[in-house]
Amino acid sequence: MTPSPESRPEETDMELINRWKAGDSRAATRLVGRHSQALARFAASAGEREGIDELVQDTFVRAFASLDSFRAESSLRTWLFTIERRLMLDRRRAERRSRETVPVQESDQVSEYGALDGLIAEEAQERVRKSLDALSPTQREVFTLRVQQGLSYKEIAEVVGSTEGAARVHYHNAIRTVKEFLKNE
Amino acid sequence: MNKCIDTEIQEMLPDLLHGSLHERARREVEMHLATCESCREDMDLIRTVKSAAVFAPSIDVDRVVRQIPPYRMIVPGVERQTRTQVVTWLLAAGLLVAIVGGGSVLFSRRTTQEPAVGVIDSGSKTVAKAPLPTESQDVAVSRPDAIEGPAGARPRGLALASDIEGLSDGNLVQLMNEMNRFDALPAAEPEPVISVDSGDSL
Repeated sequence: MTPSPESRPEETDMELINRWKAGDSRAATRLVGRHSQALARFAASAGEREGIDELVQDTFVRAFASLDSFRAESSLRTWLFTIERRLMLDRRRAERRSRETVPVQESDQVSEYGALDGLIAEEAQERVRKSLDALSPTQREVFTLRVQQGLSYKEIAEVVGSTEGAARVHYHNAIRTVKEFLKNE
Repeated sequence: MNKCIDTEIQEMLPDLLHGSLHERARREVEMHLATCESCREDMDLIRTVKSAAVFAPSIDVDRVVRQIPPYRMIVPGVERQTRTQVVTWLLAAGLLVAIVGGGSVLFSRRTTQEPAVGVIDSGSKTVAKAPLPTESQDVAVSRPDAIEGPAGARPRGLALASDIEGLSDGNLVQLMNEMNRFDALPAAEPEPVISVDSGDSL
Protein backbone atom coordinates (compact mmCIF):
# COMPACT_ATOMS: atom_id res chain seq x y z
CA MET A 1 0.00 0.00 0.00
CA THR A 2 1.37 3.41 -0.93
CA PRO A 3 1.58 5.70 2.08
CA SER A 4 -0.40 8.89 1.90
CA PRO A 5 1.55 12.16 1.79
CA GLU A 6 0.62 12.78 5.40
CA SER A 7 1.94 9.46 6.58
CA ARG A 8 5.01 9.56 4.35
CA PRO A 9 8.17 9.86 6.39
CA GLU A 10 9.90 13.21 6.40
CA GLU A 11 12.08 13.69 3.35
CA THR A 12 15.76 13.91 4.05
CA ASP A 13 17.78 16.97 3.17
CA MET A 14 19.48 15.10 0.35
CA GLU A 15 16.14 14.08 -1.14
CA LEU A 16 14.99 17.69 -1.04
CA ILE A 17 18.26 18.86 -2.58
CA ASN A 18 17.84 16.40 -5.44
CA ARG A 19 14.25 17.52 -5.93
CA TRP A 20 15.36 21.15 -6.07
CA LYS A 21 18.03 20.28 -8.61
CA ALA A 22 15.35 18.61 -10.66
CA GLY A 23 13.46 21.92 -10.72
CA ASP A 24 11.10 21.62 -7.77
CA SER A 25 11.20 25.03 -6.09
CA ARG A 26 9.00 23.76 -3.22
CA ALA A 27 11.94 21.67 -2.11
CA ALA A 28 13.93 24.86 -1.57
CA THR A 29 11.09 26.28 0.48
CA ARG A 30 11.10 23.21 2.68
CA LEU A 31 14.85 23.27 3.12
CA VAL A 32 14.87 26.95 4.05
CA GLY A 33 11.91 26.47 6.40
CA ARG A 34 13.64 23.54 8.05
CA HIS A 35 16.96 25.27 8.79
CA SER A 36 16.40 29.04 8.79
CA GLN A 37 15.44 29.41 12.45
CA ALA A 38 18.42 27.39 13.62
CA LEU A 39 20.66 29.67 11.58
CA ALA A 40 18.98 32.74 13.06
CA ARG A 41 19.46 31.41 16.58
CA PHE A 42 23.08 30.62 15.94
CA ALA A 43 23.67 34.11 14.59
CA ALA A 44 21.93 35.67 17.57
CA SER A 45 23.84 33.60 20.08
CA ALA A 46 27.09 34.31 18.27
CA GLY A 47 26.59 38.02 18.83
CA GLU A 48 24.89 39.31 15.69
CA ARG A 49 22.55 42.09 16.65
CA GLU A 50 21.38 43.46 13.34
CA GLY A 51 20.69 42.03 9.94
CA ILE A 52 20.23 38.46 11.09
CA ASP A 53 17.58 37.87 8.44
CA GLU A 54 19.97 39.14 5.76
CA LEU A 55 22.70 36.96 7.12
CA VAL A 56 20.46 33.91 6.98
CA GLN A 57 19.38 34.82 3.46
CA ASP A 58 22.97 35.25 2.30
CA THR A 59 23.82 31.91 3.85
CA PHE A 60 21.12 30.15 1.86
CA VAL A 61 21.93 31.95 -1.39
CA ARG A 62 25.56 30.99 -1.05
CA ALA A 63 24.73 27.44 -0.03
CA PHE A 64 22.32 26.85 -2.90
CA ALA A 65 24.83 28.33 -5.32
CA SER A 66 27.38 25.74 -4.31
CA LEU A 67 25.20 22.77 -3.48
CA ASP A 68 27.17 20.62 -5.90
CA SER A 69 30.13 20.91 -3.57
CA PHE A 70 28.06 19.57 -0.64
CA ARG A 71 29.09 15.92 -0.34
CA ALA A 72 26.79 15.03 2.56
CA GLU A 73 29.77 13.97 4.64
CA SER A 74 28.28 16.17 7.34
CA SER A 75 24.68 17.15 7.83
CA LEU A 76 23.32 19.97 5.73
CA ARG A 77 22.72 22.03 8.87
CA THR A 78 26.34 21.72 9.93
CA TRP A 79 27.40 22.81 6.46
CA LEU A 80 25.03 25.79 6.65
CA PHE A 81 26.45 26.76 10.05
CA THR A 82 29.92 26.69 8.56
CA ILE A 83 28.89 29.00 5.74
CA GLU A 84 27.05 31.32 8.11
CA ARG A 85 30.00 31.49 10.49
CA ARG A 86 32.29 32.43 7.61
CA LEU A 87 29.87 35.17 6.58
CA MET A 88 29.75 36.46 10.15
CA LEU A 89 33.54 36.61 10.29
CA ASP A 90 33.63 38.44 6.93
CA ARG A 91 31.04 40.85 8.17
CA ARG A 92 32.97 41.60 11.35
CA ARG A 93 36.19 42.08 9.45
CA ALA A 94 34.44 44.53 7.13
CA GLU A 95 32.99 46.37 10.11
CA ARG A 96 36.38 46.60 11.72
CA ARG A 97 37.93 47.91 8.53
CA SER A 98 35.21 50.49 8.12
CA ARG A 99 35.75 51.70 11.66
CA GLU A 100 39.47 51.87 11.06
CA THR A 101 40.22 50.76 14.55
CA VAL A 102 43.28 49.10 15.97
CA PRO A 103 43.43 45.31 15.66
CA VAL A 104 40.71 43.72 17.71
CA GLN A 105 41.84 41.95 20.85
CA GLU A 106 40.26 38.91 22.41
CA SER A 107 38.55 41.06 25.02
CA ASP A 108 37.09 43.27 22.29
CA GLN A 109 35.74 40.23 20.51
CA VAL A 110 34.06 39.11 23.67
CA SER A 111 32.38 42.46 24.02
CA GLU A 112 31.23 42.16 20.40
CA TYR A 113 29.35 39.08 21.37
CA GLY A 114 26.75 41.05 23.24
CA ALA A 115 24.55 38.57 21.50
CA LEU A 116 21.29 38.34 23.15
CA ASP A 117 20.58 42.01 23.90
CA GLY A 118 16.91 42.61 23.52
CA LEU A 119 16.26 38.93 22.96
CA ILE A 120 16.15 37.75 26.53
CA ALA A 121 13.37 38.96 28.68
CA GLU A 122 13.48 37.07 31.88
CA GLU A 123 15.92 37.75 34.63
CA ALA A 124 17.38 34.25 34.69
CA GLN A 125 18.03 34.42 30.99
CA GLU A 126 19.60 37.84 31.38
CA ARG A 127 22.02 36.31 33.85
CA VAL A 128 22.83 33.57 31.36
CA ARG A 129 23.49 36.18 28.70
CA LYS A 130 25.98 37.91 30.95
CA SER A 131 27.67 34.63 31.72
CA LEU A 132 28.00 33.90 28.02
CA ASP A 133 29.67 37.27 27.57
CA ALA A 134 32.40 36.02 29.88
CA LEU A 135 33.33 33.29 27.39
CA SER A 136 35.89 33.58 24.64
CA PRO A 137 34.41 33.72 21.12
CA THR A 138 35.35 30.12 20.39
CA GLN A 139 34.06 28.85 23.74
CA ARG A 140 30.84 30.67 23.10
CA GLU A 141 30.42 29.24 19.63
CA VAL A 142 31.14 25.72 20.81
CA PHE A 143 28.86 26.05 23.82
CA THR A 144 25.90 27.46 21.91
CA LEU A 145 26.29 25.01 19.03
CA ARG A 146 26.31 22.18 21.54
CA VAL A 147 23.59 23.39 23.87
CA GLN A 148 21.29 25.37 21.62
CA GLN A 149 21.70 23.49 18.36
CA GLY A 150 22.47 20.04 19.70
CA LEU A 151 25.41 19.46 17.35
CA SER A 152 27.83 16.66 18.05
CA TYR A 153 31.45 17.47 18.89
CA LYS A 154 32.50 16.23 15.50
CA GLU A 155 30.06 18.60 13.77
CA ILE A 156 31.11 21.48 15.99
CA ALA A 157 34.75 20.86 15.15
CA GLU A 158 33.81 21.08 11.48
CA VAL A 159 31.94 24.35 11.91
CA VAL A 160 34.60 26.14 13.92
CA GLY A 161 37.50 24.58 12.04
CA SER A 162 38.93 22.73 15.01
CA THR A 163 39.27 19.19 16.30
CA GLU A 164 36.74 17.08 18.15
CA GLY A 165 38.95 16.96 21.22
CA ALA A 166 39.40 20.72 21.23
CA ALA A 167 35.63 21.14 20.95
CA ARG A 168 35.12 18.95 24.03
CA VAL A 169 37.66 20.98 26.01
CA HIS A 170 36.00 24.24 24.95
CA TYR A 171 32.62 22.89 26.02
CA HIS A 172 33.81 21.80 29.48
CA ASN A 173 35.65 25.08 30.04
CA ALA A 174 32.60 27.02 28.91
CA ILE A 175 30.13 25.28 31.19
CA ARG A 176 32.53 25.63 34.14
CA THR A 177 32.96 29.36 33.43
CA VAL A 178 29.23 29.94 33.13
CA LYS A 179 28.53 28.10 36.37
CA GLU A 180 31.22 30.01 38.26
CA PHE A 181 29.96 33.30 36.86
CA LEU A 182 26.45 32.57 38.04
CA LYS A 183 27.66 31.50 41.49
CA ASN A 184 29.74 34.64 41.99
CA GLU A 185 27.12 37.03 40.71
CA MET B 1 27.77 19.62 46.49
CA ASN B 2 30.45 17.40 45.02
CA LYS B 3 31.62 17.97 41.47
CA CYS B 4 30.67 15.07 39.23
CA ILE B 5 33.63 13.37 37.60
CA ASP B 6 31.66 11.41 34.99
CA THR B 7 32.57 13.49 31.95
CA GLU B 8 30.88 11.05 29.59
CA ILE B 9 27.52 11.68 31.22
CA GLN B 10 28.19 15.43 31.33
CA GLU B 11 28.89 15.48 27.62
CA MET B 12 25.64 13.68 26.89
CA LEU B 13 23.42 16.17 28.75
CA PRO B 14 22.81 18.42 25.70
CA ASP B 15 21.91 15.31 23.69
CA LEU B 16 19.32 14.38 26.32
CA LEU B 17 17.84 17.86 26.03
CA HIS B 18 17.64 17.56 22.23
CA GLY B 19 16.24 14.03 22.37
CA SER B 20 19.05 12.64 20.27
CA LEU B 21 20.12 9.82 22.60
CA HIS B 22 19.40 6.18 21.97
CA GLU B 23 17.04 4.54 24.42
CA ARG B 24 19.73 2.80 26.42
CA ALA B 25 21.93 5.91 26.75
CA ARG B 26 18.91 8.03 27.61
CA ARG B 27 17.95 5.71 30.50
CA GLU B 28 21.54 5.70 31.72
CA VAL B 29 21.73 9.51 31.80
CA GLU B 30 18.33 9.83 33.48
CA MET B 31 19.35 7.36 36.17
CA HIS B 32 22.53 9.32 36.75
CA LEU B 33 20.63 12.60 36.99
CA ALA B 34 18.38 11.12 39.68
CA THR B 35 21.36 10.74 41.98
CA CYS B 36 23.80 13.51 40.91
CA GLU B 37 23.03 17.03 42.03
CA SER B 38 25.96 18.53 40.10
CA CYS B 39 24.70 17.15 36.81
CA ARG B 40 21.15 18.25 37.60
CA GLU B 41 22.50 21.75 38.03
CA ASP B 42 24.31 21.47 34.71
CA MET B 43 21.12 20.24 33.11
CA ASP B 44 19.15 23.22 34.43
CA LEU B 45 21.82 25.57 33.13
CA ILE B 46 21.81 23.94 29.72
CA ARG B 47 18.02 24.13 29.56
CA THR B 48 18.13 27.85 30.38
CA VAL B 49 20.82 28.57 27.80
CA LYS B 50 18.87 26.69 25.16
CA SER B 51 15.70 28.58 25.88
CA ALA B 52 17.59 31.87 25.80
CA ALA B 53 17.93 31.61 22.05
CA VAL B 54 14.24 31.22 21.37
CA PHE B 55 14.00 34.96 20.82
CA ALA B 56 15.99 35.04 17.62
CA PRO B 57 14.07 36.93 14.92
CA SER B 58 11.82 34.84 12.76
CA ILE B 59 12.91 34.45 9.17
CA ASP B 60 10.65 35.12 6.19
CA VAL B 61 11.13 31.85 4.33
CA ASP B 62 9.43 32.98 1.11
CA ARG B 63 11.62 36.06 0.92
CA VAL B 64 14.74 33.94 1.28
CA VAL B 65 13.56 31.46 -1.34
CA ARG B 66 12.84 34.27 -3.80
CA GLN B 67 16.49 35.28 -3.62
CA ILE B 68 17.70 31.82 -4.59
CA PRO B 69 18.29 31.65 -8.35
CA PRO B 70 17.27 28.50 -10.22
CA TYR B 71 19.69 25.61 -10.06
CA ARG B 72 20.88 25.53 -13.67
CA MET B 73 21.63 29.23 -13.78
CA ILE B 74 23.84 29.35 -10.76
CA VAL B 75 25.40 26.00 -10.16
CA PRO B 76 29.14 26.52 -10.49
CA GLY B 77 29.65 22.83 -11.19
CA VAL B 78 27.83 23.22 -14.48
CA GLU B 79 29.88 26.27 -15.38
CA ARG B 80 33.02 24.44 -14.55
CA GLN B 81 31.91 21.57 -16.71
CA THR B 82 31.27 23.93 -19.63
CA ARG B 83 34.62 25.60 -19.14
CA THR B 84 36.26 22.22 -18.95
CA GLN B 85 34.59 21.16 -22.14
CA VAL B 86 35.75 24.32 -23.91
CA VAL B 87 39.30 23.81 -22.72
CA THR B 88 39.18 20.18 -23.79
CA TRP B 89 37.96 21.12 -27.24
CA LEU B 90 40.64 23.79 -27.56
CA LEU B 91 43.30 21.32 -26.54
CA ALA B 92 42.00 18.77 -28.99
CA ALA B 93 41.95 21.37 -31.76
CA GLY B 94 45.48 22.46 -30.90
CA LEU B 95 46.66 18.87 -30.89
CA LEU B 96 45.04 18.27 -34.26
CA VAL B 97 46.69 21.37 -35.74
CA ALA B 98 50.03 20.29 -34.31
CA ILE B 99 49.69 16.80 -35.76
CA VAL B 100 48.55 17.99 -39.19
CA GLY B 101 51.04 20.85 -39.34
CA GLY B 102 53.93 18.82 -38.00
CA GLY B 103 53.07 15.92 -40.24
CA SER B 104 52.97 18.08 -43.34
CA VAL B 105 56.29 19.72 -42.42
CA LEU B 106 57.89 16.33 -41.87
CA PHE B 107 56.43 15.03 -45.10
CA SER B 108 57.67 18.00 -47.11
CA ARG B 109 61.15 17.74 -45.53
CA ARG B 110 61.25 14.06 -46.29
CA THR B 111 60.28 14.57 -49.89
CA THR B 112 62.91 17.32 -50.34
CA GLN B 113 65.66 15.38 -48.58
CA GLU B 114 65.07 12.10 -50.37
CA PRO B 115 66.33 12.49 -53.90
CA ALA B 116 63.56 11.73 -56.26
CA VAL B 117 65.97 10.11 -58.57
CA GLY B 118 66.60 6.86 -60.13
CA VAL B 119 70.16 5.72 -60.66
CA ILE B 120 70.98 4.27 -63.94
CA ASP B 121 74.20 2.48 -63.98
CA SER B 122 75.50 2.73 -67.47
CA GLY B 123 77.94 -0.08 -66.89
CA SER B 124 75.59 -2.76 -65.69
CA LYS B 125 72.59 -1.33 -67.50
CA THR B 126 70.48 -1.73 -64.39
CA VAL B 127 67.81 0.79 -63.80
CA ALA B 128 66.68 1.79 -60.31
CA LYS B 129 63.12 2.81 -59.99
CA ALA B 130 62.46 6.41 -59.07
CA PRO B 131 59.82 7.17 -56.47
CA LEU B 132 56.60 8.65 -57.75
CA PRO B 133 57.63 11.03 -60.47
CA THR B 134 55.25 13.41 -62.09
CA GLU B 135 54.94 14.21 -65.72
CA SER B 136 56.21 17.72 -65.28
CA GLN B 137 59.34 16.73 -63.44
CA ASP B 138 62.62 17.18 -65.18
CA VAL B 139 65.14 14.53 -65.89
CA ALA B 140 68.32 15.79 -64.32
CA VAL B 141 71.81 14.58 -64.97
CA SER B 142 73.86 15.27 -61.92
CA ARG B 143 77.56 15.92 -61.61
CA PRO B 144 79.32 12.70 -62.38
CA ASP B 145 81.23 12.76 -59.11
CA ALA B 146 77.96 13.00 -57.19
CA ILE B 147 76.37 10.10 -58.92
CA GLU B 148 76.27 6.73 -57.29
CA GLY B 149 78.08 3.96 -59.01
CA PRO B 150 81.21 1.91 -59.05
CA ALA B 151 84.33 3.93 -58.35
CA GLY B 152 86.40 4.75 -61.38
CA ALA B 153 83.56 4.41 -63.84
CA ARG B 154 83.19 7.02 -66.51
CA PRO B 155 79.95 8.92 -66.62
CA ARG B 156 78.50 6.71 -64.05
CA GLY B 157 74.82 7.26 -64.22
CA LEU B 158 71.82 9.32 -64.90
CA ALA B 159 69.63 10.96 -62.34
CA LEU B 160 66.12 10.71 -63.55
CA ALA B 161 63.09 12.41 -62.14
CA SER B 162 60.63 10.58 -64.27
CA ASP B 163 59.32 7.08 -64.30
CA ILE B 164 61.07 5.25 -67.08
CA GLU B 165 58.40 2.58 -66.93
CA GLY B 166 56.07 5.15 -68.35
CA LEU B 167 58.22 5.67 -71.41
CA SER B 168 57.29 4.12 -74.66
CA ASP B 169 59.58 1.72 -76.46
CA GLY B 170 60.67 4.46 -78.81
CA ASN B 171 61.50 6.79 -75.96
CA LEU B 172 63.45 4.05 -74.25
CA VAL B 173 65.47 3.47 -77.36
CA GLN B 174 66.09 7.18 -77.58
CA LEU B 175 67.14 7.22 -73.97
CA MET B 176 69.58 4.39 -74.52
CA ASN B 177 71.00 6.21 -77.50
CA GLU B 178 71.50 9.32 -75.41
CA MET B 179 73.26 7.22 -72.82
CA ASN B 180 75.53 5.84 -75.46
CA ARG B 181 76.42 9.36 -76.43
CA PHE B 182 77.44 10.10 -72.85
CA ASP B 183 80.02 7.38 -73.13
CA ALA B 184 81.66 9.40 -75.88
CA LEU B 185 82.08 12.47 -73.69
CA PRO B 186 85.63 13.25 -72.56
CA ALA B 187 86.18 11.77 -69.14
CA ALA B 188 88.82 14.34 -68.18
CA GLU B 189 86.54 17.35 -68.19
CA PRO B 190 83.02 16.27 -67.60
CA GLU B 191 80.30 18.78 -67.82
CA PRO B 192 79.38 19.84 -64.27
CA VAL B 193 75.65 19.54 -64.73
CA ILE B 194 73.64 18.59 -67.72
CA SER B 195 69.94 19.25 -67.42
CA VAL B 196 67.76 17.48 -69.85
CA ASP B 197 64.09 18.03 -70.12
CA SER B 198 62.35 14.79 -69.30
CA GLY B 199 59.87 14.90 -72.08
CA ASP B 200 60.80 16.38 -75.34
CA SER B 201 64.56 16.69 -75.08
CA LEU B 202 65.15 13.05 -74.38
